[in-house]
Amino acid sequence: MSLDYVKFSPGFEKFMPKEYRDMVEHGPFGKKTTVSQMGSFKEILEEHPMCAGCAMTLFIRLAMISFPNPEDTITVGTAGCGRLSISQAAIPFVYGNYGDQNGVASGLSRGLRLRFGDKPKDVVVMAGDGGMADIGFSCTLHSWFRKEKFTTIMLDNEVYGNTGGQESGMTNKGAVLKMAPLGKKFEKMDMVSMAKSAGCAYVATVVPNNPRRVEAVIKKAVLIAREIGPTYIQAYTSCNIEYAIPTDKVMEDAKNVEGDRYQFSEYVTDEAKQFLAERYGYKEFLPKPAPAVTKA
Amino acid sequence: MYLVADIDVDICAQTSCKLCTQFCPEANTILYNDQAGKEKGYKYGAAYVAVDRCKGCAQCVWVCDNMAKHHAIKMIMIDQLPNAAITDNVVYGEKSTTAVLTSPVVG
Ligand SMILES: Cc1ncc(C[n+]2csc(CCOP(=O)(O)OP(=O)(O)O)c2C)c(N)n1
Ligand code: SF4
Ligand code: SF4
Ligand code: SF4
Repeated sequence: MSLDYVKFSPGFEKFMPKEYRDMVEHGPFGKKTTVSQMGSFKEILEEHPMCAGCAMTLFIRLAMISFPNPEDTITVGTAGCGRLSISQAAIPFVYGNYGDQNGVASGLSRGLRLRFGDKPKDVVVMAGDGGMADIGFSCTLHSWFRKEKFTTIMLDNEVYGNTGGQESGMTNKGAVLKMAPLGKKFEKMDMVSMAKSAGCAYVATVVPNNPRRVEAVIKKAVLIAREIGPTYIQAYTSCNIEYAIPTDKVMEDAKNVEGDRYQFSEYVTDEAKQFLAERYGYKEFLPKPAPAVTKA
Repeated sequence: MYLVADIDVDICAQTSCKLCTQFCPEANTILYNDQAGKEKGYKYGAAYVAVDRCKGCAQCVWVCDNMAKHHAIKMIMIDQLPNAAITDNVVYGEKSTTAVLTSPVVG
């Protein structure tokens, strides 16, 4: 968990595969990389077996680029499609039982604080809607109630994608899926409201067809979780297999859904705003100057 | 045989807008070569695809056609590629990546 672990051990340089050498020499470690530089540095995400054209893959790729300090970040995940790629990146990945990710992340983030004190070590959970809102629901909510300081990202493809199309709590009412042929009878769960009332300091909904926005949201969430409290991002990451979206229409779908039921939203507590402004120079959250007094 | 994305340097190099790589789901796949098109007077370089990583989803085609409106990318059969860049031949420079173009990777 430091820049040292992405260096070569002396004497081993020449045995390292090319992609590893590229990652050490031209990767994002210890630098500030942004989505606008994509295509000109070696990304930490490697090849993986997720489906062609999957929006979740794109979101994970963007997230990995957006982490403020990749060399000081640990990701936590669980069963589901996302782990197939999150695990193929040059940062440590912790994989527990299905649904326990926010419990594991709670212990991990506390342990890192004990071990490293004030030096920030970022814990980021990324898991599917089934793993987070159904099976891991109590772990998720309780970590928020306990104000555990780490970031939770829901990869919301509105279905159990990895197991072939069962409905989840996050599936929309009426949706017909391969393994939910009668259509879902209940509304989509409102995890955003639950995150706010459980005490998250930052809550955002986002769609991957706006890479700069994804980057901004992830940076804010990770930074706020360092000191202020739990943060939650809910990302629409469509499953083109279970929702039969042609792969070249995935971004068009994301755009339509963003314009309709998955609009960008951001909730930041006052304490978190002040923290971002004072500690990290976020101008948008600086207190507004008092209006000039004009003489009557 | 299977389809991969192929970028027309003459069209792309006019702007090299860098939109497509931000939407390709695969990491380290659409890269930029600062030198591409220089001999024809283009200033910005051009994008290219490391075809061994491309999964053929055609999202970049949609992005270049509909968002960038440049129509520089086409899906073509991998054995029909005039030149193919593969990861082993990608060199990362100070500012950008450069592909050493080879003949088709799959015969
Ligand atoms: C305890 C347990 N029950 C069931 C499973 C089987 N399982 C693996 S992935 C998965 C569904 C994942 O759905 P979701 O969390 O929505 O993620 P997605 O695959 O859609 O990204 C299930 C049920 C498991 N691995 N462990
Ligand atoms: S099954 Fe769906 S969510 Fe899973 S990798 Fe394939 S397209 Fe993506
Ligand atoms: S979107 Fe089209 S024009 Fe822009 S960089 Fe990509 S290929 Fe070139
Ligand atoms: S076809 Fe898909 S995987 Fe291949 S370069 Fe285009 S967006 Fe990337």
